[in-house]
Amino acid sequence: MMDKPTILIIGAGFTGCALAYDLTLRGFSVTVVDRGEICSGTSGRTHGLLHSGSRYCVNDPEAAVECIEENTILRRIARQCIEFNNGLFLAISEEELAYKETFKAGAEKCGIPIRWMDKKDILSREPAINPQVLGGFEVPDGSFDPLRLALAFAGSARNRGAIFLPFHQVESIHIDGRSSVDFIILTDRHTGRSIEQHADMVINATGAWAGKIAEMAGVNVPVIPSPGVMVAFEKRMSNYVVNRLSLPGDGDIIIPQRRMSVIGTTSFEVNDADYIPVDQGMVKEMVDRAIEMIPAIARVKIRASYMSARPLIQTGTNARSLSRTFKVFDHETDHGLKGFITITGGKATTCRVMAEKTADLVCEKFAWRKTCQTKDFELDSYRTFYNRQA
Amino acid sequence: MKGSPSPRNFLQWFDPRGRSAGSWGFMLNRITGLGLVLYLAMHMIVLFQLTRGAEAYDSFIQLMKNPIFIIGELLVIAAGIMHGINGIRIGLTSFGIAVRYQLTMLIIAGIISAGGILFFAIHMLGGA
Amino acid sequence: MTTTWKITLRILRQKQGETKTSWQDFSLDIDPDETVLDAVERVWAFQDRSLTFRHACHHSTCGACGMRVNNIEKLTCITPIRSVTHNNGMLRIEPLRNFPIVSDLVVDVSHFFQELEIMQAPAVSSNSTANLDYEEVFPDVAEKERLIDCIECGLCVSACPVALTDEAYVGPAALSGLHQALAANALSANLALADNHSGVWRCHSAFECSAVCPSNVEPGYRIMDLRKKLMRKNFHQWFGGKEAGK
Ligand SMILES: Cc1cc2nc3c(=O)[nH]c(=O)nc-3n(C[C@H](O)[C@H](O)[C@H](O)COP(=O)(O)OP(=O)(O)OC[C@H]3O[C@@H](n4cnc5c(N)ncnc54)[C@H](O)[C@@H]3O)c2cc1C
Ligand code: SF4
Ligand code: FES
Repeated sequence: MMDKPTILIIGAGFTGCALAYDLTLRGFSVTVVDRGEICSGTSGRTHGLLHSGSRYCVNDPEAAVECIEENTILRRIARQCIEFNNGLFLAISEEELAYKETFKAGAEKCGIPIRWMDKKDILSREPAINPQVLGGFEVPDGSFDPLRLALAFAGSARNRGAIFLPFHQVESIHIDGRSSVDFIILTDRHTGRSIEQHADMVINATGAWAGKIAEMAGVNVPVIPSPGVMVAFEKRMSNYVVNRLSLPGDGDIIIPQRRMSVIGTTSFEVNDADYIPVDQGMVKEMVDRAIEMIPAIARVKIRASYMSARPLIQTGTNARSLSRTFKVFDHETDHGLKGFITITGGKATTCRVMAEKTADLVCEKFAWRKTCQTKDFELDSYRTFYNRQA
Repeated sequence: MKGSPSPRNFLQWFDPRGRSAGSWGFMLNRITGLGLVLYLAMHMIVLFQLTRGAEAYDSFIQLMKNPIFIIGELLVIAAGIMHGINGIRIGLTSFGIAVRYQLTMLIIAGIISAGGILFFAIHMLGGA
Repeated sequence: MTTTWKITLRILRQKQGETKTSWQDFSLDIDPDETVLDAVERVWAFQDRSLTFRHACHHSTCGACGMRVNNIEKLTCITPIRSVTHNNGMLRIEPLRNFPIVSDLVVDVSHFFQELEIMQAPAVSSNSTANLDYEEVFPDVAEKERLIDCIECGLCVSACPVALTDEAYVGPAALSGLHQALAANALSANLALADNHSGVWRCHSAFECSAVCPSNVEPGYRIMDLRKKLMRKNFHQWFGGKEAGK
């Protein structure tokens, strides 16, 4: 058998952490670097909605199926940091009520278990909901703690030998004479020192920053950061995740988390995702929408408003779709550059399957016959990420 | 390692910047506690003097009439009152009693102590 | 509509492996409704890329962003600049105390997390057990689950005078974790972990933990409640009565 191939993953968000776990289980020797703390990019700053797929069941059934499958798996392997209290899709207007059958058909086709609840039933369980509600569906949504979910994957990887180097920034990527990625130069930001790191393969998992990292390797990954704003309120207004019974739009979701309620979100485009100031106008619009669902939220104090950016992949690019919901750029077939892969897109909810599909591709490249095992066991406690390495 | 706990940090116990009322209780209890221990030691030494006869005792009592010592005595009493009354508060909370009202109790302890100290001050200094 | 303040951030800087520390000033024009974490992140983004600090969620759920702001422990992502200074004011930003410092504002939380893990502090619990025992929980929602209050930010440990001097002290967060584990499952929690001279008996009642905790945990209350439970248990053991629960 050949030596363990060495893989270097850039980016320790959900994607990088889940991928590190999958590849480590398959016997690769994995190192993950990030310029900041784990989850300091987009991953930390999410709503924390564990999708059931219901939001996509009408207009994007493929994404919906992926979500419900992963939702079910995470219930098994990542119970430790997820609130499973289900979600509601509320019909408040007649128009929304009319959407009922379309939604029901969509959910059934995608295999999402739903249940219609009448007004009385909803209000008795969630008294804060707008009393004008006409009815709604109960769906298997949940909410997660972002950092802890990523740490659970990262800790499980680390306990099996993966190395994590947070606060290590990638400065440049170097290609050898045979158009293969040779090494990268990192700055250890704790000491300010420069480090040369070699690997058989480098995987760019930097989400909204994927274009910038790809540029260092001289290849083009056409992503534009597309931020959204989220607002956290001081009080937990519901136990269910609350949605509108319509196609997904801005400000149409309220997610309970700890003692808070988080509302989201919007979407626009920026050039640089390093610092995105919060747009107060958007905050106001979203709060107004949230009040339609839970009127009392108008009197609750805002605890935090924050932003993060998704990677918007420009249309007309020939990225290889391992799934419709995220993109893998295989730079060997695209640009003749060996040992370099970019994965971007997706959701926190689907990070495990993104990792699975990407690891399949990595195995194919190394003719490494190992299958995915991440569905099989529960993740180690997220706190073990901080165990001192033996 | 830099930043880690160390016994050498104890001076920071008495740095009140940024600390809440609870820390004042903590600091005063440390200071009064040390003061009382010091006093007890002195007291023992003084008692030991008695073994040297009546004359020594008389001159000692004379010395004690000096206002400086009266103020010193008052400080000892003040320390005793503060330490004792705050001690009751800490004792209660340690039994899990009224923990949520520890701040109120600290304020009450402060008021009672101030009253007590004032009483002794008037009594001792006024009579002099 | 938005106002702009001019403020100075005075940040304590240090590199890993060097003993030298120094204060560095950064001046900033900023909307006072932005948070201290926003200000620190702005310094990193626009002025000095070498600055290191921890952050993830920006909405008080991950616990990574604790710092000392003008000598007080703050969860910086929910601390508006308006609440800690004034126009033309200055903010002194330091790493948390009582943790080994790695670099700049980054502290090493590994020992802290291990203590919490030993206590088997749950991360998710039912509403009825996640709340403090004196809080009212409506029966309808009591059995729904939620992430517990402690976000493992370490502010309480930084504020604790006993943790300043005693490395062995288990600390307010871990003891609260044990209290929470006990609430969630009285049978599996191990009270003995608190019943020793580095556990609940080491606390000296400064109640700083409860004063700085940004997340409703009330560690001071929980430590005292553990004492009560331990006394009850030990009393029954010593005097031969039946053990009244754990
Ligand atoms: C507003 C918003 C809300 C969302 N809400 C949800 C939700 O509720 N539920 C859900 O399932 N999904 C949600 N998502 C999607 C989800 O957050 C993302 O899919 C996920 O976080 C992407 O993770 P990632 O690891 O690919 O990227 P990131 O988390 O952004 O990770 C990229 C990492 O690369 C690092 N990096 C960048 N440059 C360098 C460099 N030069 N050197 C080293 N490292 C570098 C960054 O520091 C960063 O940590 C949301 C997305 C947005 C934008
Ligand atoms: S008890 Fe409060 S201050 Fe201490 S770690 Fe938990 S959340 Fe932070
Ligand atoms: S950044 Fe997560 S708690 Fe502040």
